Amino acid sequence: MLTEFGKIFVFLIFAMLFVAISIFIARLIRPTRPTKEKLKIYECGEEAMGTPWIKFNIRFYVVALIFLIFDVEVVLLFPWAITYKDYGIYGFLVGIIFLVVLAIGMAYEWRKGDLEWARPKPNIPDLSKILKKKIAQPETIEPSADN
Amino acid sequence: MEMNSLYDSLSLIAPELIISVTLLVIVLFDLIFKNNKKMLPFLSTVGLAVALITQAGNLTDGGFAFSPENTPLFYGMLTIDSFGAFFKILVLAASMLIIYFSSTTDEVNESFDRLGEYYTLIFGMVLGMMFMISASDLILIYLSVELLSLSSYVLAGFSKNKTRNNEAALKYLLFGAFSSGLMLFGISLIYGMVGSTNLTALNNFLQTGSINLFTITISLILVFAGIGYKISSAPFHFWTPDVYEGAPISITAFLSVASKAAGFALLIRFIRVGFVSYVDSEGFWKLSEVFDWQLLLVIIAILTMTLGNFSALWQDNLKRMLAYSSIAHAGYMLLGLAVMSDQGVLAVLVYFFIYAIMNIGAFFIVMLIANRIGSENIDDYDGLGFKAPLLGVSLGIFLVSLTGIPPTAGFIGKLYLFIALVDANMIAVAVIALLNTVVSLYYYIRVLKHMYLVKPSTEPPVIKPSFNNLIFVLILAVPTIIFGIYFTPILDFAKQCVQFFGV
Amino acid sequence: MELYDLIFYFFAIVTVVSAFMVVTSKNIVHAGFNLLFTFFGVAGIYVLLGADFIAVVQLLVYVGGILILLLFGIMLTNKITSVELRTGTAHIIPAVIGVGIFWGALTAIVAFKTDWVEVNTASTESTTIIGLGNLLLTDYVLIFELLGILLLVALIGAASFARREIEELKD
Repeated sequence: MLTEFGKIFVFLIFAMLFVAISIFIARLIRPTRPTKEKLKIYECGEEAMGTPWIKFNIRFYVVALIFLIFDVEVVLLFPWAITYKDYGIYGFLVGIIFLVVLAIGMAYEWRKGDLEWARPKPNIPDLSKILKKKIAQPETIEPSADN
Repeated sequence: MEMNSLYDSLSLIAPELIISVTLLVIVLFDLIFKNNKKMLPFLSTVGLAVALITQAGNLTDGGFAFSPENTPLFYGMLTIDSFGAFFKILVLAASMLIIYFSSTTDEVNESFDRLGEYYTLIFGMVLGMMFMISASDLILIYLSVELLSLSSYVLAGFSKNKTRNNEAALKYLLFGAFSSGLMLFGISLIYGMVGSTNLTALNNFLQTGSINLFTITISLILVFAGIGYKISSAPFHFWTPDVYEGAPISITAFLSVASKAAGFALLIRFIRVGFVSYVDSEGFWKLSEVFDWQLLLVIIAILTMTLGNFSALWQDNLKRMLAYSSIAHAGYMLLGLAVMSDQGVLAVLVYFFIYAIMNIGAFFIVMLIANRIGSENIDDYDGLGFKAPLLGVSLGIFLVSLTGIPPTAGFIGKLYLFIALVDANMIAVAVIALLNTVVSLYYYIRVLKHMYLVKPSTEPPVIKPSFNNLIFVLILAVPTIIFGIYFTPILDFAKQCVQFFGV
Repeated sequence: MELYDLIFYFFAIVTVVSAFMVVTSKNIVHAGFNLLFTFFGVAGIYVLLGADFIAVVQLLVYVGGILILLLFGIMLTNKITSVELRTGTAHIIPAVIGVGIFWGALTAIVAFKTDWVEVNTASTESTTIIGLGNLLLTDYVLIFELLGILLLVALIGAASFARREIEELKD
């Protein structure tokens, strides 16, 4: 039972040991002379600014959700894909119905625009509006154009 | 699977197939005609009507669908019988009412963009309920409960940008996920003991196998936790008021009627198929002696109705009040099941039929008023009875019927329940239920008092519902009166349907 | 089987300890990462039970999907690091003793005093996927198709629910 997975397990053990041992040996033989510059967060030579914990775009979440559901679908299709040939046209149809139902889900995502990564609309000020305003009220020109 | 048996199985689940196809059609329709949302309720109603007609035509069908190969007789994923047909007809009819209900609810129509999702998820719920009602295999039971739950979580939080909506959805999800986890654990314990997920196999095991009473008790309590959550019975009812208050009102009505019906059907079938060893000549069930369902159900029923009724006394929000009242009604119906006889199940069926009509009716009128005045608070109902005479009188009928006072249909439901209890010599329980009914009178009548007797501080608005809505109210209100006097049709229908296939 | 037991205890300890860390960790990000080890340990136990397909699914869906979703959820939350998770309790020792005895007794009775059905272990197939596929196409074909619809409903529900905030951001 353990044969194939046993190999993976051995690999796993060795991978962990390898990392642990190399870090341990490195610690033994390296010199430790910390300076302020060295202890800084490495960010490609830039000065690190602010906190790394910023709020991410919600779109990541929707994409992850969709991914998760299709992940489960793939998992269910594996056993089907291995055995359906033994059942002739019936086995084929069973899988196709399953796939069609999920294809509808895909179509839904597509049509509703969940798959598009729409950029926020660039804020180009409308020149004609500004000009009209300028003619009407010369004092209040600039910031309102941002809308 | 052999083609013949597959064909038989598919023809047995024809209504479910129709619902599934309609679900897909609605999704596609919404995708193709993005801006034509007017057709969605129509399409849904047609799908439900076709399923309903098919189901009514197959009322006496009996059989096992999707039986596994190489297993003894009486094993099947689904059991199709008239008992299931009764609940399916109830669910389908209630869904049709709810579709119309939804199409007039402002709260739902505000989210124009997502109406397609709304009707799709309603069909997801219906499909889950249909499979729940006839499932006789633990895996299918779990899957259908999940299908129902997943759809209803989203629907409970359907309205956009409303905090109480989001709160309802979140609470529903957390409670639901936990209880379905418990149920799954119970199912896995049962599978570990029985070696099969089939309910008939469970029954055979209980009669012959070597049983550890402790383990079986734990696993059954865990399974009951999952089902009890669906019917909002006592220790698992905490989500009910918050979710019912927060969800869009059409969904609240749907949850309180159809979802509960499916849960009851599941519970009844679970006990009937899994535990009854034989039925004696008077219709009393003889259960395997491993687990005292009667004791558990009586305790839970009394707890449920008492908690429901007493908590309802202090509610000022009508939706919340009706939520507690629906908890109390679940308690009454559990008593009908606790009798453990065909008579008791008959009482549950009659009760449910009537409860569906009057409860949807009450919620519909609350919705009509909320559409106009934007509030469900009881103080805002002051003097409304004179400004909207038909709505006032109809709400009165529904509330009186929910209390169970003659000559309304609610009385008949309670009457049969008490008859069943007295027949089984459960007088003390019957008395407690009766006292509970008296308590419930207070909070139902309080609404009427506000509508007719309290002088409003400001002039109440005139509420003029549209012609269609008035017809809808009459469709629900008139039967509530008629069935209170002439109830033979319900009784005959229910009697015909207390038939379980196979066992 | 000495080695088998050893490996089992390795995975069991990984699972339990990391699960404990998930519950007690004050930092929600640490809790999330500890969950990784819990899922991983459970996958190992599945392998030991001979449920190879379920083990792969555990890695694919839980580690590859659910955990990522969870971490996204954490990252999407504003100012998450300033949130102090309150896990402190006043009576931790009596609680541990009481729950330990009660739960231990419960588990012990359930686990050791019950006649569990012996599953047929003499399977000739090297992997469980084939058996699973045969069952999905015969006895459980209804479940298979219903799962398709369940996933569709879940997809539509989840997307419409999560998309809401995009609509808000637009205006």
